[in-house]
Amino acid sequence: MTRRILAGMLLMSIVAFGPMAFASMEPMAVIQEPIDAVIVILNDPQYKNPETKAVQRSEIWKIVQPMFDFNEVSIRALARNWRQFSEAEKEAFVDVFAQFLGNTYIDKIQGEYHNEQIVYLGQTLYKDEYAEVKTKIVREAVEIPVNYRLRKKGDGQWKVYDIIVEGVSLVKNYRTQFASILKKKKPAQLIEQLNDKLEDQNRRLAGND
Amino acid sequence: MRTVNRRALVFLVVLLIGSVAVTASAMATESGSAAADDISAADESIPFDPFEEEIDDPFEEEGESLPSVADPLVGFNRAMFTFNDRVYFWVLKPVASGYRVVVPTPVRTCVKNFFFNLLGPVRFVNCLLQGKWSAAEGEFGRFTANTTVGILGLFDPAGKEPHLNPPEEDMGQTLGYYGTGNGLYIVWPLLGPSTLRDTVGAIGDWALNPFTFMQLINADDVDGLTSSTANVIIYSVRTVNDTSFRIGDYETLKNAALDPYEFLRDAYIQSRNSKIAE
Repeated sequence: MTRRILAGMLLMSIVAFGPMAFASMEPMAVIQEPIDAVIVILNDPQYKNPETKAVQRSEIWKIVQPMFDFNEVSIRALARNWRQFSEAEKEAFVDVFAQFLGNTYIDKIQGEYHNEQIVYLGQTLYKDEYAEVKTKIVREAVEIPVNYRLRKKGDGQWKVYDIIVEGVSLVKNYRTQFASILKKKKPAQLIEQLNDKLEDQNRRLAGND
Repeated sequence: MRTVNRRALVFLVVLLIGSVAVTASAMATESGSAAADDISAADESIPFDPFEEEIDDPFEEEGESLPSVADPLVGFNRAMFTFNDRVYFWVLKPVASGYRVVVPTPVRTCVKNFFFNLLGPVRFVNCLLQGKWSAAEGEFGRFTANTTVGILGLFDPAGKEPHLNPPEEDMGQTLGYYGTGNGLYIVWPLLGPSTLRDTVGAIGDWALNPFTFMQLINADDVDGLTSSTANVIIYSVRTVNDTSFRIGDYETLKNAALDPYEFLRDAYIQSRNSKIAE
């Protein structure tokens, strides 16, 4: 029922705002273009050689990074605790968290891309400032719903601030973990913990190459 | 005489499950609302801040932002988490990986379809219990089509029809739909994360699954062991088969986490909440 209403709303919004939104970049295109580009890189035979994996990773990161507003991702993931962070700590946190997320997920798609298909289901706009783009990953007989939430920045660019995989919000999930760490530890210690994890990752990735 | 006794026993068991369900859901609601009270109290202690408006998310459903779930069994749960983690890496993953190599994808897909179809009646009943008539219609239509045209559910000819594929319902969601809170978080050995509410729900779904159900009605002529052994075998085959499609997902989740236990707990609660909201 709700889905039908949603579908109706979607159709209406496409009919109503479609031609207008195409002028600037539509939220769905903001998601679709980089993802398609990443899939091209994943299928590119020149990266079959394990020695080129690091190059491939940085190529993917170059495409994916601009999709996100990691500042906003961090603010939302830290919620109230953000205010405890000094300006320098904020900067350090955003930097390490972005790298950590990038590493984790690029490693995953790089290691295990088996011709999964991405189906773009549609987008919902909210007050022309927020948007949700619904997609699903189709892998053999399994479908994994992945929704991207975006916010329009001052310069009119849509940037992703949260990803919801199978109903689980990445930001909210980290919020719970960060909140419980910050109950006992200082912001600097959280940043250090993330840095340690990042170094572990980098070591492991270097070992794989 | 013996027949009468067994009927009475079955009746008693059903009655017991029913009353446990009611009591547990009442308890769950209480502890759930108590937890919610704690959190809202904590929220009030924070003065109004326009900055909070900044992080308002229009897609966030009400109450969804509650941090997590009551976890008084955290010691036991963490031990069970570690146990399940080892079972995954030492047993399930190697078995499922081998199975994946040996059994071709179309066969694995058929196995997946078969079990999914087999549990159609359970989903159907839960749609009815929640008054979701069009979803119930969808489940009924899918079950009918896949059992006949799809040869006992091995194939999924109804899979392409959106109205025959409503969101999957289970009894934990049914209880949640009527306002039962999570109660507390429980990690069961082998079965994985759950809550008090979802455990009660799982017992209800277990009673509704075709094997158990037949056993409960024909209490006289089937040996008690057959059903539970069959259930264990079915559960194992299904788990291995399902896992064969998702090898690597758990590993990513673990790598992405600062505290895998908390990560999984929050992911479980979030995923259940979003399913109940559907």
